[in-house]
Amino acid sequence: MNAVIIGSSAAGLACLDTLLRFSPELNATIISEEAYAPYCRCLLTYYLGGMLKEQQMVIRDTTSYPANTNFLFGERVDRIDTQKKYVILTSGPEISYNKLLIATGSNAVKPKYYDEEKKTFTLRYMDDAKKIEPHIRNKAIVLGGGFVGIKAAFGLMERNIGVTVVISSGYPLSMIVDEKTGWFIEKDLRDMGIDIRTGEDVAGIKTKNEVLRVSLSSGFELDSDAIIVGKGVKPRVELAKQAGIKTDMGIMVNEFMETSAEGIYAAGDCCETMDIARKRFWVNAIWPVAVEQGYYAALNMLGMKAPYHGGIGMNSMKTRAFHLITAGVLKGGEGVSLFEKYMPSTNQFRKLAVRDNVPVGMAFYNNPEEAGVIINLIKKGTSLTVDPAKIVNNEVSMMDILKPL
Amino acid sequence: MKVVVVRPERCVGCLQCRFACSVVHSESKSPFTAPYESILSKPRIHIGVTTGKEPFPNKCRHCNPAPCEMACITKAIFRDESTGIVLINPDRCINCGMCAMACPFGVIRYHVYVDRRTSAHKCDQCFARQKEGKIPACVEVCKVGALVFEDYNKMMDKATDQLAFLVYLGIREKEHGKGSYPTLIAYKNILQEIKRR
Repeated sequence: MNAVIIGSSAAGLACLDTLLRFSPELNATIISEEAYAPYCRCLLTYYLGGMLKEQQMVIRDTTSYPANTNFLFGERVDRIDTQKKYVILTSGPEISYNKLLIATGSNAVKPKYYDEEKKTFTLRYMDDAKKIEPHIRNKAIVLGGGFVGIKAAFGLMERNIGVTVVISSGYPLSMIVDEKTGWFIEKDLRDMGIDIRTGEDVAGIKTKNEVLRVSLSSGFELDSDAIIVGKGVKPRVELAKQAGIKTDMGIMVNEFMETSAEGIYAAGDCCETMDIARKRFWVNAIWPVAVEQGYYAALNMLGMKAPYHGGIGMNSMKTRAFHLITAGVLKGGEGVSLFEKYMPSTNQFRKLAVRDNVPVGMAFYNNPEEAGVIINLIKKGTSLTVDPAKIVNNEVSMMDILKPL
Repeated sequence: MKVVVVRPERCVGCLQCRFACSVVHSESKSPFTAPYESILSKPRIHIGVTTGKEPFPNKCRHCNPAPCEMACITKAIFRDESTGIVLINPDRCINCGMCAMACPFGVIRYHVYVDRRTSAHKCDQCFARQKEGKIPACVEVCKVGALVFEDYNKMMDKATDQLAFLVYLGIREKEHGKGSYPTLIAYKNILQEIKRR
């Protein structure tokens, strides 16, 4: 069987590993437009902060794979012929496939003032990080208070660079957490020495002697060496759309990860799967979900018919001052009741969102040990056996939840 | 593949497994010098207490596929192919906290144990000891049989046998009434026999 994988990040590599684990004699081709050995995208902010070197980011050793695995790095797929089952590369060659996985991932959203000439960059690929690095000397601005933005700000701060985070909404991580959790993050980030400006946007950028002069919407002006934009990601669906595969926000897949075209599967940031907490189709562009989808796609490519029941958005952010773990939906909706408790002595905060006695969202601030148990309940859709108010008050032990399972 | 099976109903909460675990993972491997080492060895098995004050030993299950392995962004968590044990490479770990988020049993902690850097810390099922042909330290010291090192399928077979016999006794008692040979003694004898297998 010829298996072709487009994209060599989380989903692509997880798929390749699973394929080889269950059928080692398979001919696999993995195509990536980046000319680097497989690396982890989430580590780019650490690379920027000088905490990791380039070779430490490599997550797979391509030489350890069997001879019938083909790695094509630095190649782009031009189009997919779904009738004759061919993948056509921009450089010319045609590769035939029996099973194809589209794991093209997502691209960073580029705002209207995005201009590399004016030292405004997004941070999504290794090339981006390499472009940003020489420009940064002592001051930087990060636009967007998402995970990429805050992690980039934290990384730069570790290098003793003055960072200002400009957030258009009222508090950091506004897409993931609610206002109250946002306050704690904002306070701790400020205590660490990161300047945060909420409710503002960039009005204009001027260049003067290699230094950027950025004016904000409130009229405030800032000097900076470079601007890093972290305004979210957008699924890359152009390739699939061109081939006539059904797309919506991302590529539409059924529960067996198969797209509308036969023999073509999709996984990772580019595809739209069931979100258990939201109970609707959603794009969860995070690493663990992509790996999981790649795993299930591989099982189904081998004809095992393993249904993927969906994932949830979850994230963990650890800095020197705090460790935040969030999952699911936290902002109240229909029939969602919220429970929360702040413990000032330990600077811990717990929040739990429950719908019909089934947890749908959580945010644990500074107590990571027990977060996984609740996330598992959200994922499985299991109803709680104990009072949720007692969980946030730390009155019940997690063992009460674990023991009956 | 042999795994450590936890039987929480037998645990009395003596914490000897925790003590043995930290000693075995210390530099000197001696209970007398381990507390004075510069990097204090931490136990990798956790005894939680429920609200009913019942102890519950909680340790890494070495799941397959492992959610922590899937969530690890640096590939610091990997599976040893020959034994199936999920291990952490502390040199690659960047302390991002993803594994604690993914672990459905809440067994991953963050401690300084190598190079004065904080990294993820969990049970390695005494990988080094198993290579020497020994059984995991927590199982060795467990006095009440709450931790058993056994082939998982064999363990399940035994449990099935026990359950089947219990059901059989119930049916027999219902049909014939209480016989001259008390059911409880019969049950105990059979359990003994199953244990000997």
